[in-house]
Amino acid sequence: MLEIDGVSINYGPVSAVRDVSLKVEQGEIVALLGPNGAGKTSLLSAAMGLRPLAAGSIRFKGEDMRRLDTESRVRRGLTLTPEGRKVFANLTVLENLDLGAATRARGADFHADIEMCFELFPILAERRHQTGGSLSGGEQQMLAIARSLMSRPSLLMLDEPSLGLAPRIVGQIFRLIRDLRQRDLTILLVEQNAHEVLRFADRAYVLSTGECRYSGPAARLQEAGALMQAYIGELVA
Amino acid sequence: MDYLIEQALNGFSIGAQYSLLALGLAIVFSVMGLVNFAHGEFIGVAGYAMFAMAAMGMTDPLLLVVFAMATVTLVALVLERIAFRPVRNAPSTTGLLTAFGVGIILQNLFLLMVSPRPKAVPELSALNQTVDVWGHNFTILQFLEVGVTTVAIAGLVWFLKGTRIGLAMRAAALDFTTVRLMGMRANRVIATAFAISGLLASIAAIFFIARRGAIDPFMGLLPVLKAFVACVLGGFGSLPGAVVGGLLLGFVEVMLIVLLPDKLAGLRDASVFLIVGAILVFRPQGILGRRVELGDKTA
Amino acid sequence: MNTIAFAERTRGGRPFLDARLAGNLRGALWLALIAAAIGLFVMAFGSPFIVRLTATAFINLIAVVGLQIFMGNSNVVNIGHAGFMALGAYFTAIFATPVMIKATMIPNAPFGLAGVEVGALYAFLISVGLTSLIGLLSGLVLVRLAGIAATILTISILVIVQGVLVTWTDLFRGAQAFFGIPKVVGLGLIVAAAAAVLVVARLFKGSRAGVQLRASATDPLAAEAMGVDVKRLRLVAWVLGSAVVGCAGALYALYAGTINARAFYFHTAFLTLAMSIVGGMRSVTGAMVGVALLTVLLELIRIVEGGITVFGIAFPEMLGLSGLMLGVIIVGVMCFRSDGFMGGHEIEEVVTALRRRLVARKREA
Repeated sequence: MLEIDGVSINYGPVSAVRDVSLKVEQGEIVALLGPNGAGKTSLLSAAMGLRPLAAGSIRFKGEDMRRLDTESRVRRGLTLTPEGRKVFANLTVLENLDLGAATRARGADFHADIEMCFELFPILAERRHQTGGSLSGGEQQMLAIARSLMSRPSLLMLDEPSLGLAPRIVGQIFRLIRDLRQRDLTILLVEQNAHEVLRFADRAYVLSTGECRYSGPAARLQEAGALMQAYIGELVA
Repeated sequence: MDYLIEQALNGFSIGAQYSLLALGLAIVFSVMGLVNFAHGEFIGVAGYAMFAMAAMGMTDPLLLVVFAMATVTLVALVLERIAFRPVRNAPSTTGLLTAFGVGIILQNLFLLMVSPRPKAVPELSALNQTVDVWGHNFTILQFLEVGVTTVAIAGLVWFLKGTRIGLAMRAAALDFTTVRLMGMRANRVIATAFAISGLLASIAAIFFIARRGAIDPFMGLLPVLKAFVACVLGGFGSLPGAVVGGLLLGFVEVMLIVLLPDKLAGLRDASVFLIVGAILVFRPQGILGRRVELGDKTA
Repeated sequence: MNTIAFAERTRGGRPFLDARLAGNLRGALWLALIAAAIGLFVMAFGSPFIVRLTATAFINLIAVVGLQIFMGNSNVVNIGHAGFMALGAYFTAIFATPVMIKATMIPNAPFGLAGVEVGALYAFLISVGLTSLIGLLSGLVLVRLAGIAATILTISILVIVQGVLVTWTDLFRGAQAFFGIPKVVGLGLIVAAAAAVLVVARLFKGSRAGVQLRASATDPLAAEAMGVDVKRLRLVAWVLGSAVVGCAGALYALYAGTINARAFYFHTAFLTLAMSIVGGMRSVTGAMVGVALLTVLLELIRIVEGGITVFGIAFPEMLGLSGLMLGVIIVGVMCFRSDGFMGGHEIEEVVTALRRRLVARKREA
């Protein structure tokens, strides 16, 4: 579904990602792991068209994405829940969700989708008239995911959904992500919190200092020491 | 007492004009961080549009008003496209100076194409007729100013809360990138902000022109400076702040007209700015503005 | 970030500072020499019209340099400088004009100023001093504000100064011209003053205060975290800038002999601001380039503006053309080269880069 092929990304003279290739197939949950500064967020930003590519190509459902702007990629079914949640703090929960559906009109299915979100995240229904800024970290993360779902994506990219959340909440969020698979959704999950994610991901990639260090089944990384080896680049899939 | 009521309405109606101008400035600033120094020239555009229509024999006031509003909105959109889009992601100083250049261009276009001297636009003077309400003398214009401004602000509030693009504009004030991640077109959001700012300015412009009955190339300068002052007073970028700042400014101005003897009339504008300076000493963030910390998104 | 590291390093090492000082002095002298050369050339060969044009240009240059000192280092757009120019001119006028003339012009001047007359040099010094004092007072308010609010305050200063000048007829003659100021300054003195001011601006820019101020303009948080007192630095730049701009006004009064409050309002403010922008407000060399470019260009346009005949076709008078071009130039510069013609570089940097390129080309050949 998503094919990232030989992508490099530069920030001025600094190279953040070098020749990384990554593939996500229909119905998969793919984990993209790696330490801080590995280039994971840069890669997702590039996939959304927020960062220019220095080299390589990105294809989504067989279509070349390089020519399309961010807005058109969302319309094609590619969605990113950004790092740090980025909930609109001055908008209410309902307004946040409304804006999440910016690519389509407010028809009957729009209201159905809002109800679906409230079903998935009952706490949001309770807080529907509160502003995004007044929610707790976990609630904001749920809102951010729900908001992404409102665009009816076929591929959902989640950037560090567990960032800064209490362990109990993290477990809840991961359970939700796992449930999303039942909704015909393909997921690319970026995490530093590797061990939790590897339990339910199908495949995994490990990025370190801008280079791909591992790609293969997630289960393989669960073996003792394997992840560490992948981080320092000694594990061969 | 009578006098007080009359002056109060006067303050309201003058303040309403400043509020409309300040709102336009604040909307564009909050959405794209641009300090639109050329905003005052929208008044000139409205004035010269009416003048041109009247010169061609079209003197129906209502038609003139509609034509002026449409022209200003269109000009706002065109300016966004050709002058402000290239500097959209530049530092705010660049945007401010670009706008400053655009203002100079428009002023001199009026000067070049029409005349450096003031021209009469008497078509709206009927609005200055006084009416008697419970023994007080008011002009029709004053009621219109207060009434239309109230309606315009209510409409704006509805737009910002009720429509998708309105939501996007509010969200963009905090985080434009994430608005784009929602699939909202940046160009559409910014163009809408400009259209609204032009529309609001055109309403204010019609009131200005109705009051003065004449236009000149540099007529927009002082009103826009005062609208800036209103924005700063209310807290730059805050929409409620712009309205409150505009009204406050209107009252201060009427108070000064009443209090300052004719001999010191030349100090009216100076006093307005002095009072503003004094307020800013005590509240640098403005009345409704939040305290800005170093490194926050500011102008 | 680089500038901050730079600013931090200057705290310790003395020898480093001296090397930098030498570099700045070299650049400053380059500018001063070019200014002097232009001045001498015009004095030797220029027609009276050209001399007048050059004198005005150099007065503008002093004002633009004053503008650069604050705006270029702190990155806050300043529109109030024309007000300080007015103050410099009027203070000079009040102190230097002969008592006899003042008896008819401002007989009721307060503080017995109608009876005071000092030499032009003293009047100049008093006027620059008073302007700086007002700069200090306004600066104390100004440094509390950031960004656009600060810009609005500078506009307020301009409007307030203009209001006071026009209203306080007993002292400033209001909207009427103030005349009879001794015309003791010629092009030579103006050029000398401009050269001196260029050196001052360069030295300030390169000084520790200047470097820290520029660093704080790019990254206020980091600068504050390094212990840079941004407010104090901005105050220093503001007062110094006001003094230099006041200088321009004072010289203008002593050169023209007649001044008018209207001449120091938005038009002057915008014109000098445009010069600063076009040349590039971040560099002192930019100030000089901007003044030169716009002076020449606007003068050429003014010929067309008055209505000319080209190949037998008579073009009508086109008032506003110069203003229009000014606007177009500003927008063009902002869209395509927002750092101005010099792009924030100083003359010695450009010379060094050119020399390097030449050397490289020679080596290739």
